[in-house]
Amino acid sequence: MWKLLKNNLIIERSSKKNIFAFIFVALFIFGLAIYMENWDVGNIPAQKTSEQQNVLSALSLFPDMDASADGDSSDLYKNLNEQQRLIALQRISANLNKPDMFAESAINLAKLREETFQLEGFEEVEEFLPTFNENKLESIFYERLTSLDIPIFTDNLTYYQFLIFLFGILGSIWFIFLAFYTCGIMIEDFNHTSLIKGYPLSFDKYVAAKGISTMSIILIFIVEIFLCSLPLIYFRGLGDPSYPVAVFDGNYEIYSIAKYIGVSVLYMIFIAIFVILLSLILNVLLKNMYLTLFVELFLFVLPSLFPRLVSLLPFNPFNYINFTDLLDGKSLELAYPVGLNSTHGLIYIGISIVILVVIANLFLSTGKLKRA
Amino acid sequence: MKPYFKFELSQFITNKKNIAIYVILLFLACFYALNIAPSYKPIERVDAKEIEARYTSRESFIQNYLNDPNRFQGMASGGLFIFPRWNELDKKRLESLNEGNLKKYASVTSKWYTFSNDLITSTGQYYYSPGYYTHGNLYASDDGNYGYSYSASRYAGYGEGKSKLSINVFEERTALQTLQRLLESYLPMILIICCVFLSVDIVLKDRLYPSLLKGFPISDWKKLLIKGAVALIGSVGIIIPISIGLIMIGIRYGFGDFGLPVAIYTFVGEPTYFKKGEFLNTSMGMYLLQNFIILILLFALIISLVLLASMIIRNEFANLLVGAMFIFNEIFYFKRGIGFFEEVENYPTNYVQVGQIISGYRNYIYNSSALTFDKGVYVLGISTGILILLIFVISKFKRYKLV
Repeated sequence: MWKLLKNNLIIERSSKKNIFAFIFVALFIFGLAIYMENWDVGNIPAQKTSEQQNVLSALSLFPDMDASADGDSSDLYKNLNEQQRLIALQRISANLNKPDMFAESAINLAKLREETFQLEGFEEVEEFLPTFNENKLESIFYERLTSLDIPIFTDNLTYYQFLIFLFGILGSIWFIFLAFYTCGIMIEDFNHTSLIKGYPLSFDKYVAAKGISTMSIILIFIVEIFLCSLPLIYFRGLGDPSYPVAVFDGNYEIYSIAKYIGVSVLYMIFIAIFVILLSLILNVLLKNMYLTLFVELFLFVLPSLFPRLVSLLPFNPFNYINFTDLLDGKSLELAYPVGLNSTHGLIYIGISIVILVVIANLFLSTGKLKRA
Repeated sequence: MKPYFKFELSQFITNKKNIAIYVILLFLACFYALNIAPSYKPIERVDAKEIEARYTSRESFIQNYLNDPNRFQGMASGGLFIFPRWNELDKKRLESLNEGNLKKYASVTSKWYTFSNDLITSTGQYYYSPGYYTHGNLYASDDGNYGYSYSASRYAGYGEGKSKLSINVFEERTALQTLQRLLESYLPMILIICCVFLSVDIVLKDRLYPSLLKGFPISDWKKLLIKGAVALIGSVGIIIPISIGLIMIGIRYGFGDFGLPVAIYTFVGEPTYFKKGEFLNTSMGMYLLQNFIILILLFALIISLVLLASMIIRNEFANLLVGAMFIFNEIFYFKRGIGFFEEVENYPTNYVQVGQIISGYRNYIYNSSALTFDKGVYVLGISTGILILLIFVISKFKRYKLV
């Protein structure tokens, strides 16, 4: 089997498909950096200006009234006016470079917003305000920042800050990329069955070697992601790997950037194994590369087409494939909210991998495939 | 040539992957018609209650301050100057809506939008409909300006035109208007991605049975031409599953007609940094026809790109990547207002968002005046021509034989 593996790797090394996939990954990362630079992603004054407009338009739904503490207006109106004041304060402190003032007003703002969820008439202004989940993440983020004395205004294109942004996007496209990459994993071999039969090895070993060689290429993709971001160290600096990131992993938690990336990479590896097995089995069943791809993509989008499914079947591994949304607590914002736990997600994907291995073993040892 | 065409077409239609694409599109179209279209909430609603609330609070302000001795101090004078005129329009809107006189409602509403937009852009003290200022939208007032001017022009068209009016027409819910809205959002992307998928294996599938295909007494160049034509016909066939979804929407909300006005953002002369263009109406039929022509040209361009890639690189994964790069290239250089400095209209990748090109929205956000239908036909036509010429030249080399 080792000889076969070596043979496979030599074939993979010269495969055009791999070369193009490597070029694609590199282009994607460079493109993303250019995009971030162009769009000014994470520009605090611009964000705060738009936030202020949101609150102003929420306020425009009310008739003008006395918003002082003992005024005759509703609690919600007073609350929104106070929010308005704090956002203005944040804008000023961002422009004047006063991080302490910024963080303090951010924490107060988050507290105020938390109160609004209980106030009467909240539904009417809901769309102008962040969701409960977003607000909670922001509040614990700033609380940690002030307690640790870490600078707030950072360059978003330093190495580690960029990686956070990159991994924030990878969650939604990693599965799609892998589905494209692996959908034809066995198709070439079906065209040369006589060749496969010639190998002095049982078929399941052959498949295992194929899976392992594909997996090793995917690991190289993951390494490539880090390598291609390296030029940013030269242009913008390294950044701070212990910078906090607010996440929801079942509870609201603070991860460091390093830990966040670690969890993401773990997810990416699990998902890669899962996709490879899924592609293997679907290839055998459907005998068509594109049908495999379409079935995989369909399974991927199914939970977002029918959000009810997520709360009905929390053990469905496809709920956890988009690990970025998972860590952002997006499942709490669905029409039927449910708190998905990221550790459970790894376990469910792991169980699915075991089930797929068992299925693959059953299928591949019955000799069905040999006649393909 | 004809037998080969028939052979390719039958292979194309019976291809499992192609059937799957049509089935998926049918599923998506039905899903949209049943699930997404009913929950569409336009920002510019026809809502008597909303108008009434605005009207009464301004009216009470006017009543309170009209005879107040201090009315010339502070902000009150501004309100007293503006509100009576604004309220007169709102009152007319309310009356015509309650009477059911939609024609009158349309023409008054058009005036209301023009008046409000001028007021908001010139004073900076009032705001557009709150719907534009959603959480995280950095360009809300730009969007509001576009939406108000667009609505003003559209409603003026309803008031003057002969189309049958209804609330659904006003809120752009009818089948044809839904198609128009979709063409301005993600439908072109979906169509072009489908086109890439349909044409991705049309050359490379032959490598499986080379001995069979060498028997056709036909040159490589002609084969490629026929393959391209088959892929183009197949891509145009995408219209069938989509029209089924539109029929479902039409039964529920009405079909609309081809005479309905569509407001087009047009720019006469050279853009300057502060000058904005104006909206002119065209008919729905004309709008859809122009969209269709640009889409066909884009299909032809994409197919020739994929054919060229299949000849040179000979790998299906690479074909997909080339297609994807063409489709998503725009994100890498897109920036609001950049059209003023750079000649984005010369890039063929700039025409992927077909509906936004025809409606002028791209011109608006690029701050350009050159992204038009004519320019699109010109650029896409020339690029397709160059690609086909390249295919012709390369097909003459023995090294790039098809099978």
